[in-house]
Amino acid sequence: MRTRIISSLAGAALLLGAAGSSMAHHAFSAEFDVDSPVALRGTVTRMEWINPHSWIHIDVVNEAGEVESWMVEGGAPNAILRRGFTADSLKPGTVILVEGYQARDGSNRANGRDIAFEDGTKLFFGIGSPGAPDARD
Amino acid sequence: MVRLPSGASLGLAAIVLMLGAACAQEDSSESAAQAPEAGAAPEAGAAAGFSRLDGRPDLNGLWQTNTLANWNLEAHSAADIPQFAGLGAIAAIPAGISYVDGPDGEIPYLPEALAQRDENLAGWPATDPEAKCYMPGLPRAAYLPYPFQIVQGNQDILFAYEFATANRVVNMGEPQTAVVPTWMGTSNGRWEGDTLVVEVTGNNDLAWYDRAGNYRGASTVVTERYTKVSDDRIDYEATIEDPALYSSPWTIRLPLYRRTEEGAQMLEFKCVPFSEELLYGHLVKRDEEEQD
Repeated sequence: MRTRIISSLAGAALLLGAAGSSMAHHAFSAEFDVDSPVALRGTVTRMEWINPHSWIHIDVVNEAGEVESWMVEGGAPNAILRRGFTADSLKPGTVILVEGYQARDGSNRANGRDIAFEDGTKLFFGIGSPGAPDARD
Repeated sequence: MVRLPSGASLGLAAIVLMLGAACAQEDSSESAAQAPEAGAAPEAGAAAGFSRLDGRPDLNGLWQTNTLANWNLEAHSAADIPQFAGLGAIAAIPAGISYVDGPDGEIPYLPEALAQRDENLAGWPATDPEAKCYMPGLPRAAYLPYPFQIVQGNQDILFAYEFATANRVVNMGEPQTAVVPTWMGTSNGRWEGDTLVVEVTGNNDLAWYDRAGNYRGASTVVTERYTKVSDDRIDYEATIEDPALYSSPWTIRLPLYRRTEEGAQMLEFKCVPFSEELLYGHLVKRDEEEQD
């Protein structure tokens, strides 16, 4: 009996330890640049309700008139659902304005902070982890 | 040798096993008493003896299909898998009949959707979510070649699948709408006579139906029907609807049998570690001299 208890505690400790030190939760500043803010107004093409972070795929028309596909990282599904987002409010075809920060490698990826909808509603989309910007207003 | 689950992970498995074992023991003693009195052959259907719980068919127990539907829902010949030639016949695909209703037994894809299915198949097995140990979704979870436990009381019903420890709770109360799309979907159930009808919505567009590339979409709705016909058999039916992919709803039918051998239990198949090389092997930094 005692062996089994110890092994389950050890198992739990390993899980906790691994979660704390793994690369799964990277720092915001390692991947995104807070000095490269972006404001993307476009149409949602796909919404990934996944953990640890949701991802919105959005098509944006740039100044040259070309369509660019961006992906924007946000909070976990549980977190953003609590803030008022719904599957319906982010379904493909929805027009939104996403404010965030571009990836350091210059690719069409960003870390999202706020999302504004056409009806004027504004919600905090961000990951909310240490180092990441908080909601504006 | 049977490997027992490690202490840390006994939680859900232990509860399910204990409940399942308790219910199974009740069932077998009840059915033994009923069969001589009923005097009818098992194939006579619901009127013949099978155990009930609160007046409903008792679906508790460990179930598994004995069909090969997970290889391909449509009829197919035996074939090899060239990249696994070293495994010989062990890694060959057996022939199978169709489980899809309709005169030609084929899934009624719209033309573009069919092209996607063929693309899925061309990339198999790397494209198959089963290979990546992702959750199977419905209806695939019902006919994977691994057992699953149904835990039925007088409220919601739990389905616990051995593969990847997937599970889902069928809500038997007021139907709830799906909050977000997920692998296992959102299940709402009700009884229609002696058939448990489960509607699964909120399905993501990532799960497949078999190892042949047949797949579902974001607006797919699956309606399952579990009809107990004897203590050891449930006739399973699933109707799949998605106007974006199929020109009409289509239905599959197959039997589920109880695992009756002594010691039958759900074992652990936590397959994530087995899929890591497939998913991330290309990211591993290997020295040129290193083998493997």
